[in-house]
Amino acid sequence: MIDERHEELASLHAFDLLEGAELAAFESALSTNPELPKLVEDLRNTAPAIGLTAPLVTPRPELRARILASLPARAASPATPAKAEATIIPFRLALWTGWAAAACFALVSAYFGSRYFAATSETLALRQDIELTRIEAQSSRQQIEAERILATRQIADLEKAGDIANLKIARLADLLGNSPQAVAVAVWNPLKQEGVLTVEKLPVLQNDQDYQLWVVDPAYTNPVNGGVFTVDAKGLARVQFRPDQSVSAVTTFAISRERKGGVPKAEGPIVAAGTF
Amino acid sequence: MPTQGPTSACMSRASEDSPSPADVQAQNRADAELLRKIAGGDRDAFAQIYDRFSRPLYSVALRILHDANEAEDIVHDVFISLWNKAPDFEPTRGSALGWSITLTRNRAIDRLRSRRRRSELLEQAAPADLGYEENPPDSATSPGELWLKEKASAVRRAITDLSADQRAAVELAFFGGLTQQEIAARLQQPLGTVKARIRRGLLKLRDTLAGRL
Repeated sequence: MIDERHEELASLHAFDLLEGAELAAFESALSTNPELPKLVEDLRNTAPAIGLTAPLVTPRPELRARILASLPARAASPATPAKAEATIIPFRLALWTGWAAAACFALVSAYFGSRYFAATSETLALRQDIELTRIEAQSSRQQIEAERILATRQIADLEKAGDIANLKIARLADLLGNSPQAVAVAVWNPLKQEGVLTVEKLPVLQNDQDYQLWVVDPAYTNPVNGGVFTVDAKGLARVQFRPDQSVSAVTTFAISRERKGGVPKAEGPIVAAGTF
Repeated sequence: MPTQGPTSACMSRASEDSPSPADVQAQNRADAELLRKIAGGDRDAFAQIYDRFSRPLYSVALRILHDANEAEDIVHDVFISLWNKAPDFEPTRGSALGWSITLTRNRAIDRLRSRRRRSELLEQAAPADLGYEENPPDSATSPGELWLKEKASAVRRAITDLSADQRAAVELAFFGGLTQQEIAARLQQPLGTVKARIRRGLLKLRDTLAGRL
């Protein structure tokens, strides 16, 4: 059984893309998983086929002649040296013991030295690998966060664009004639069922009175309460309102003067009204 | 290149107009025989191998290096290597052509990496930018040339069957002379994604081309 991780390493190996710790780990896996060498051989024999996708181009004819002319002579088998007259040297153990010990020491030192350097370089490669993985993860996180922010903005922009396209605006005119300069504008968002009322130069009311906004929808017998408000000394007010009941076909906004706190059904005089 | 039983439905596409597995095996045996003769010092066999392999090997070197003179140098070195290493060739481990392409790719990539103007040339090595035109062979009707063209067509069809992402990843892995990280940077994808694309692409190629390499 070959898992995806080893398939991946085998594929990278086929393109000579493995290095350091990855290569060491893969070579180790090669010796322990009997199915892996076959996959490696298959992939290493498949990869060169990609070379055949290169557009076929013919080299200059001179190249053939140049190569054929530069072929080196086939190296002859190394000549067997003539056997010299054998001279028998008596073996003296004491003479060789010191040299043998030194040679063994040198071999052992070389072995452990090479192991040390191999382990050191492998550790270094592993650290680099870990660092790369960490950077990659961090980069991915940042990318996801950036995409999330971007998506949120796009959604907000879309919502905003949708809201603006659906907004309805009504200018309310003075009905009583006692404040002809009064200006009242209602901006209504039918999707959100809310709006903003801005008034200027409305007369300041007595302390026991409030202005009350009414939303007229033919679906209801009586205008729907949009809330109460007061104006400042200059007759200014800007209030966000939401009708008590859901309205689907608003035709008119009206402002009446009512007793403090408002009333469920308009009783006082209508001071301003306007339609879309 | 080794053979393997049909394992994928997508093989049908690769088999259109491509050499049959039996033809492929026969041609591979003939190439192996030429290499055996070359190992024995047969210069005529070497000339035959040159005539068969020079176009694909030169094309691979040119695709990697984008420089005709350097590509010729590489092909020169590779054929001298084939002459010297012919005794080492093991026909049971793959085809002579695949072995030769691998030698060419390795040398071309070594050259690419050692170039002073490396960064500029890597820009030119983008998979979609071939930068040169395919030209017709001198002996278009020779059986060897025809066989090569059919085989190349089968591989191109198999490559086309990969998704665009997989194709870009495996082509860059083969021709680009880049590290894993450089491939990921070039494709502007996370490293893990690139590794997965190379894995899926190469496994699919193996299945599609089974018995045809």
